[in-house]
Amino acid sequence: MPVQDGEGARAEALALRAVSKSFGGLTSVDALDLTVGEREVVSVIGPNGAGKTTLFNLITGVYRPDSGQILLAGEDVAGLAPSEVTRRGIARTFQNVRLFHNMSVVDNVLAAMYGGTRTGLFAAALGLRSARREEREARARAEELLSFFGTRLMGYRWDQPAYSLSYANRRRLEIARAMATGARVLLLDEPAAGMNPKETHEIADVIGRLRAEKGYTIVVIEHDMHVVEGVSDRVVALDHGVKIAEGGFEEVALNPQVVEAYLGRGTAGTK
Amino acid sequence: MDSTNLNLGTDEWVAAHAERSAGTPGPLDRARAAWEAVPLLVRVLLPVVLLALVPLAGSSYLTRVGVNLGLFALLALGLNIVVGYAGLLDLGYVAFYGFGAYTFAMLSSDKFGLHLPTLVTVPLAVVLTAAFGFLLSLPSRRLLGDYLAIVTLFFGQIFVEFAISGDSITLPGRSQSSDLTGGSDGISGVDRFSLLGLRFESDAYYYYLLLALVLLLTLAIYRVDRSRVGRAWRALGQDALAAEAMTIPVNRLKILAFVVGAGIAGLSGAIFAAVQRGVFPSSFDLPLLILVYAAVILGGSGSLAGALLGAALMSLLPEALRQPAYGEWLFFVLLCLAAVAVVRRARPLLLVAVGTVVVGFVMNAVLLAAGVQGLPAADWTQGLLSRGMGRWLFVPVDRLHWGNAAFVLLVVLLAVASRIRPAVRIALLPVLLWLATFVWFVRLSPEPSLTRQLLIGALLVVLMIVRPEGLLGRKQVEVL
Repeated sequence: MPVQDGEGARAEALALRAVSKSFGGLTSVDALDLTVGEREVVSVIGPNGAGKTTLFNLITGVYRPDSGQILLAGEDVAGLAPSEVTRRGIARTFQNVRLFHNMSVVDNVLAAMYGGTRTGLFAAALGLRSARREEREARARAEELLSFFGTRLMGYRWDQPAYSLSYANRRRLEIARAMATGARVLLLDEPAAGMNPKETHEIADVIGRLRAEKGYTIVVIEHDMHVVEGVSDRVVALDHGVKIAEGGFEEVALNPQVVEAYLGRGTAGTK
Repeated sequence: MDSTNLNLGTDEWVAAHAERSAGTPGPLDRARAAWEAVPLLVRVLLPVVLLALVPLAGSSYLTRVGVNLGLFALLALGLNIVVGYAGLLDLGYVAFYGFGAYTFAMLSSDKFGLHLPTLVTVPLAVVLTAAFGFLLSLPSRRLLGDYLAIVTLFFGQIFVEFAISGDSITLPGRSQSSDLTGGSDGISGVDRFSLLGLRFESDAYYYYLLLALVLLLTLAIYRVDRSRVGRAWRALGQDALAAEAMTIPVNRLKILAFVVGAGIAGLSGAIFAAVQRGVFPSSFDLPLLILVYAAVILGGSGSLAGALLGAALMSLLPEALRQPAYGEWLFFVLLCLAAVAVVRRARPLLLVAVGTVVVGFVMNAVLLAAGVQGLPAADWTQGLLSRGMGRWLFVPVDRLHWGNAAFVLLVVLLAVASRIRPAVRIALLPVLLWLATFVWFVRLSPEPSLTRQLLIGALLVVLMIVRPEGLLGRKQVEVL
């Protein structure tokens, strides 16, 4: 259900200008330009090694770009520490789920509110009123965030350690945790990987609701083309760190260069 | 996509949780439930009141044991933050204890002719130690795991070396060397505490001070643990990259954990210096480090109550084991625990118990028939079990040779037992249990200084096998 909004040009939420990153001799992302509008869902596709996850690592500050700008609402965040980038409004999930597995479900969400809260060591130790109020508010917000996933993460699961969750629930919790950072832009790295058809369907539904109900701007890396087709306003295809196609799902999926990148030379155009 | 016929977002598993979890709770679950049924106020006040009564018993020995426990509990609380919460393997931790002690000693002794009031020296010792912790954390903050451990171990050793050879240090701008630390003789003649006009004449003062401090710090750490900062520590301890990606400035929080841990250790050290009325380099070396780590790990790394329980066990146990009778009891408890750990089911366990009794009487008869000279039971055991023990166990006059031979046999049999099928192992168990008891009474119990260490080591090994997460710790799972 790609949402077509009639107004055309959206405000820019995230923009990459000629961003490059190489490791040794290997150029992983090469002079990449990418613009994501406010409340837009952009999918990034491409074969393994195309530079998709590197792109996420660059945007979130895990890697520092060799050159280029990464603009978040017009402000350059390239070179900032990842915690600072996230605090300013871009949060991510990981391809290989990286929850705080031995912490409870609700603590996972609360931990991600660090940047948005301010209780210090002494305020907490003394149990000051401001600290208690902030904690109450944080818990209320965690409840609200977790209830976004229906009853999946509610009830007794709150206090269960994250490792006890099913794989699909871990992915959902990762999204809830990213939401808890207060970010407005979510980067989802293969949110449907390893899920069964029903769960995949549900994740696509969640992505749609994240934008429609919560107003998030979303960049999603995904291999499941049903999800890509279902959620994206726009699709960007990468290969060897270069953008090879951009546009609506149909347009990109039929692009000979994209087919070639996935299937190899000689099959182009035979879809 | 049409989602009308899919029941999205609902979860039967959650709804059915209550029925599913209504299984049979284990004995530990039941004990915990019973304990949690007691009102919170009573649960907290009861131990506090009991502990407050200790100095009133009038035994200076008991009070001193309590003071040592208090110092040790503070150390364990601090280390639990660094290792248990933030997951930083800081092997230089004891250096902070020493730094606090030396700082206090230098500021309140004839060493430099300084006798500052306690209200100045103790906070100063805490702040300076925390600052020292800050300095050490700067080069360590990017290190993880083994690398951090090695570097901090090195720092710890530098501290000890500095304290030992600090009696001839040539300061810049001076031609003669000066004595900073008193070398291996340390600093003696350290002032007692004197707070609010109250001179700390006896250990009882320190006891109450430590009791209050342990309570206050426990409360404070309990609160911090459940706050934003505590959660950030736990998060970075589990996955630093994910924590960083979730708005947590990992480096700053690591430094904070280091600094807080150092400050608490410094506080403990300052009190230690006043209690001892002196400081010596050897007090701050590896043996103490091992004990504090053992306390935190035994209690359950990352558990506040666990750190306190671990500290109590690791400081009271060696004291208790000075009494041979207690050693005997602990030996039997350990033996039973080991048997339970191997068998783990009621009926075979009963068979093993009966078998062990039978083996004892048979061995007794065999040794008697063989004409081996034995000692009467009263010579090697007292207490409750002694009457029956005399017929069950046989202690030869020649303890040395019999004991050594039995020890070798025991080790060989243990090695064999670890290689055979479980069913056969259970059959062998009664022999092993009897032989272990034999070795204990014939060879080990006459040498209490040796057996103390041995028993504590064995206790740690058994507990870590039975409960790897520590006594009060929560199970930790690695998810890859």
